[in-house]
Amino acid sequence: MRQPWIGPLLLTALLLAGCDASQETRQNTGFAGLGEAAGDFAQASPGTPLRFPIDHGPHPDYRIEWWYLTANLENADGEPLGLQWTLFRQALVPPDERPEPAPWAADQLWMAHFAVSQGESHRVAERFARSHSAGNDGQAGVRAAPFRAWLDDWQLASRVEDAASDTFAELSLSAHQDDDRGRFGADITLDAEGPLVPHGEDGFSQKAADGQGSLSSGSMYSGSMYYSQPFWRVDGEVTLDGETQPVTGRAWLDREWSSQLLDERQQGWDWFSLHLASGHKLMAFQLRGGGAAGGDYRSGTWITPDGSPTPLSPGAIQLEPLATATVSGREVPTRWRLEVPSEGLQLVVEAPHAERWMATSVPYWEGAVVARDPASGERLGEGYLEMTGY
Amino acid sequence: MLTALATLLSHYRRHPGQLAMLLLGLWVASALWSGVQAINVSARDSYARAEALFSTGLDRLERRDDEPLTRDDYLALRRAGLPVSPLLEGEVETADGNRLTLIGIDPLTLPGDSAFATAGSTDELTGFLTSPWQTRLAPDSLAALGVARGEAPGSTPHLAEGQRLPPLVPTPSLPPDTLVMDIAAAARLLDRGTTLSRLVTAPDALATAPDGFVLTRADTLVEPGQLTQSFHLNLTAMALLALVVGLFIVQAALGLALEQRLDLLRTLRALGVSARRLVGLLALELVLLGLVGALAGIVSGVWLAQALLPDVAATLASLYGAEVGAQLYLPWHYWLGGLAVTLGGLFLAGSGVLWRAARLSVLGLGQAQAWRAGFHRQLRRLALAGSGVVALGLALWAWLAAQPPGEGLIAGFGLVAALLLAGALWLPPLLALGLAALARLWRRHPLAQWAVADLQLQLPRLTLAMMALLIALAANLGIGSMVGGFRLTFLDWLDQRLVADLYLRPPPAQFDSVEAWLGERSEVRETLPTRHAEATLREAERDGAARSLERPVSLYGITPGAALVPHWPLLDTRQGREAAWQAFRGGAAFVNEQLAIAEGLSPGDRLIVEATGRRETLPVAAIYPDYGNTRGEVLLATPQLAKRFAGTPSSIGIVLAAGGRAETLSEALRQRFALGSDSLVDQREVKRVATGIFERTFTITRALSALTLGVAALALLASLLAQARSRRRQLAPLWALGVPRARLATVQLAQLGGAALATGLLAVPLGIGLALGLVAVINVAAFGWRLPLHLFPAEMAMTLATAVGVALLAALLPALRLWRTPPRALLAEEEAT
Repeated sequence: MRQPWIGPLLLTALLLAGCDASQETRQNTGFAGLGEAAGDFAQASPGTPLRFPIDHGPHPDYRIEWWYLTANLENADGEPLGLQWTLFRQALVPPDERPEPAPWAADQLWMAHFAVSQGESHRVAERFARSHSAGNDGQAGVRAAPFRAWLDDWQLASRVEDAASDTFAELSLSAHQDDDRGRFGADITLDAEGPLVPHGEDGFSQKAADGQGSLSSGSMYSGSMYYSQPFWRVDGEVTLDGETQPVTGRAWLDREWSSQLLDERQQGWDWFSLHLASGHKLMAFQLRGGGAAGGDYRSGTWITPDGSPTPLSPGAIQLEPLATATVSGREVPTRWRLEVPSEGLQLVVEAPHAERWMATSVPYWEGAVVARDPASGERLGEGYLEMTGY
Repeated sequence: MLTALATLLSHYRRHPGQLAMLLLGLWVASALWSGVQAINVSARDSYARAEALFSTGLDRLERRDDEPLTRDDYLALRRAGLPVSPLLEGEVETADGNRLTLIGIDPLTLPGDSAFATAGSTDELTGFLTSPWQTRLAPDSLAALGVARGEAPGSTPHLAEGQRLPPLVPTPSLPPDTLVMDIAAAARLLDRGTTLSRLVTAPDALATAPDGFVLTRADTLVEPGQLTQSFHLNLTAMALLALVVGLFIVQAALGLALEQRLDLLRTLRALGVSARRLVGLLALELVLLGLVGALAGIVSGVWLAQALLPDVAATLASLYGAEVGAQLYLPWHYWLGGLAVTLGGLFLAGSGVLWRAARLSVLGLGQAQAWRAGFHRQLRRLALAGSGVVALGLALWAWLAAQPPGEGLIAGFGLVAALLLAGALWLPPLLALGLAALARLWRRHPLAQWAVADLQLQLPRLTLAMMALLIALAANLGIGSMVGGFRLTFLDWLDQRLVADLYLRPPPAQFDSVEAWLGERSEVRETLPTRHAEATLREAERDGAARSLERPVSLYGITPGAALVPHWPLLDTRQGREAAWQAFRGGAAFVNEQLAIAEGLSPGDRLIVEATGRRETLPVAAIYPDYGNTRGEVLLATPQLAKRFAGTPSSIGIVLAAGGRAETLSEALRQRFALGSDSLVDQREVKRVATGIFERTFTITRALSALTLGVAALALLASLLAQARSRRRQLAPLWALGVPRARLATVQLAQLGGAALATGLLAVPLGIGLALGLVAVINVAAFGWRLPLHLFPAEMAMTLATAVGVALLAALLPALRLWRTPPRALLAEEEAT
């Protein structure tokens, strides 16, 4: 399915999108001048408190937002299996330019990505929808409580009916896709075994060296509101290549919303979410460009087994590609050295299967990774890696 | 070299008439050809754009209960995981009163690869999806909105009812007269609320229709390009005919120019110009003439196409529902193609001249008798070639007979062309034979004998013009009887089919109550409700042997009422009309001629038909003619269709009782049921519209056919004028022998009139053969049904008279000149030779 319009659009929809200089120019002009229009959107800023369950729901006053789920699973034979399901929201117009609610009139654009991978198999699907922020009964949307995020028949929804309780703690994901290569899909339950974890400064995640407090280009904060639920236990069934297999494992859900994403110097993004054998979790990313003195900007969160976060400053993370693989005609690093000296963490993170290209409107690499001890090769954890701009 | 070329060309300075004739021939041939090609190319461009749009190429979903689709249907299907996309289609009227199709789409769910999804950027999608939205349209649709091309981007023209269109964004890939915008904007402009026109999906994305919906596969929707193919083939064949006839003129003019330059050529050879160079020079001359003629022809062709296009577009729209832009679209290959065809034709026509120039004997003398001997050889060759073409035609015929019915449109045209060509090739030998017989017959009438002998001498130069005349006459006759026959048959058939006085199309929900209400009215004698359904013809069975067909057909239900049964035309039944209708009431089916021909069905066969999830076996009781329908159709009695396939209500035919007034009834109906203005149609109106459509189709055919005849007349005139001068010398001795000039002129008229009459007489059987080929082969291949052959003696006599008239007219000018030439001048000319 070709949607030539969507591609450029998603440059702005995906925080993770590769933004070289020319694309960035397009982004700026694309929204009637980011500088002028930006003031009309709400801005992520430090000191904005996270409030639950409201913040599980959409924030249409911000330009972009996503519900991003990745899962490291295994089947009954212990064979690993990866799964990604993401719902992206993008505001088409600033809040004060919203159209009157009318049939088909829209101010929000939705996009969902779904991928199931096992061994050499990697299946990807993408869907789009529109909605009006005044109604919540459209083709796609998100409701805070009882939690439900959907696009068509794909949905991530609470299994708890009682809106007064924490409906976000018990979810189920149902997504299936039929195409000429056959059916694939997932029916899984997710149970939170730990608390929600805010990143950065109480949920404000800075995205460039000069982002916090000061004004970056376009008079905007370069940052987002960002929290995760990294403690999901997963149970259910996954269908791939016509075969349905029972699966178990763990998952990580990211929630992020923002109006100013990257700044124009940033070309791409490498993002890690790791479940370590010690029970710790690690979120770490680097934005290539936009760091101090023009270097890369790194940030992350060290999460203890009981869920208490420690923000990692740009200097606290060392990240270095060790080997690349050619995927879809591009050189993509699939083996990394990742170190957090303050926590005594030394890892080599490697993708067992390099062919995890997401051939969606904006293409990127997203796949399961294994973390090992650099010296002994001992397996120290697993997780997901996302790389854009290659 | 230049000097030699200038010398060669100087001939035309002395004979500007010949040059004019040559250029005229080229111009006419090339103008007609390129005019028709311009129409074809433009139409094909429109079809290609339409086919790339979403109306074709996508599967469609509609509600089974015929209620309009709504946004809720769309959302329910999406939430069930079905990849459907909403489409809103309507019509808007511009401030100038033009009607444009408006299509509202959702670009986010529309299946990809649609020509509409042009490359764009973020703000383009945002602009498309959000207020004030965008109107995408092809630049050739701007005129309908009264917007100039330069001012188009961003302008927001008014519609007839005062609303403004969203800002215009010219998009060349869209079909003509079609506006595309976001569904939100379209819903607002068309005031449709949440209703939809249809839901579309990528072809074969759904295995079966969801409950409550009817799925129509894209491949069962015929594409306009496919439908109109035969129409364009028809136009092309006509244009080719005109080209050939035009080239006959060229050939005649070239031959004459060479004949008169033989001495000059010999002199040039004697002066040392080599034969190769001479041929090269003549070829160069051809190229120069060809370029001038072709360019003039193409320019006039474009003009002609512009004049014809509105009519052609209207015809195509009403016949096939295919929109063709009102502006010509002429890509580079059109210009190049036009030039190539004209130049190619010119060289074909001139090849004989070049050949003769190459074999020119330096010392040869132009002896009439030697020339005659040469002509005899040529006659033998012509007869042989004619026989070869006939053999080819027979082979084509045999091949066609072996094809499944309805196939071989191009072979059909080949057959017709072979027929015409054979006729043309045999014409000179036949004329020569006839003249030889006359010469023996009139041995005792010296003047008559002289006239015959003289005509025999003239024949070589006249043959080409006569051949052109023959082809044009035969084509005129053939097309005339096809058109006439079609009109007779079609009007008859229309009368038989439209038996009710009023046709009513109530909303499906009101169908039953309207029918019941009508049943109680005293002015209504009978109601004839119809129903319809889409079905698949799975199998056909004959004598217990089943064949798998798997073909989409429409099921149509008619009421076998007292008013309808006696008139409804049937082509073939098993045991007569009575028995067929008896069986029909009992559940048997009728199939239309196109389906019967395409699948080889005949009364007595049994069909396995599947529709709306039900599978039924239907015996075929009769075949009926169904002119103008492009699809295979199976007819059932309405109650049977309702019971066995749950067919959807369609329309109700109302037969009035004696004295019942249509106006009173329609007024009462409108008051009682709040029907829309277009749901009630008078039978006369239907007939008027249908006849209008067919009249317009044939106007074009007849115009081209008349043009061809005109060209042939020109060819004849040109040939005669060319030799008039030399003829005078031969007439002078006769005058000197005492034959009065008036007599001489009459003899001349008689000679040509006779030759034309003979040609015309030969054209009659040829024209009938052509008509037969058109109705029995080409019509079946193009439309799927056969026309009965009608002959129109009056029209034939008219054509014959035209032929003789044209010849006499052409002979009149030279005769007049002869009449007015002082005898002394004649003698002086005789002395000069």
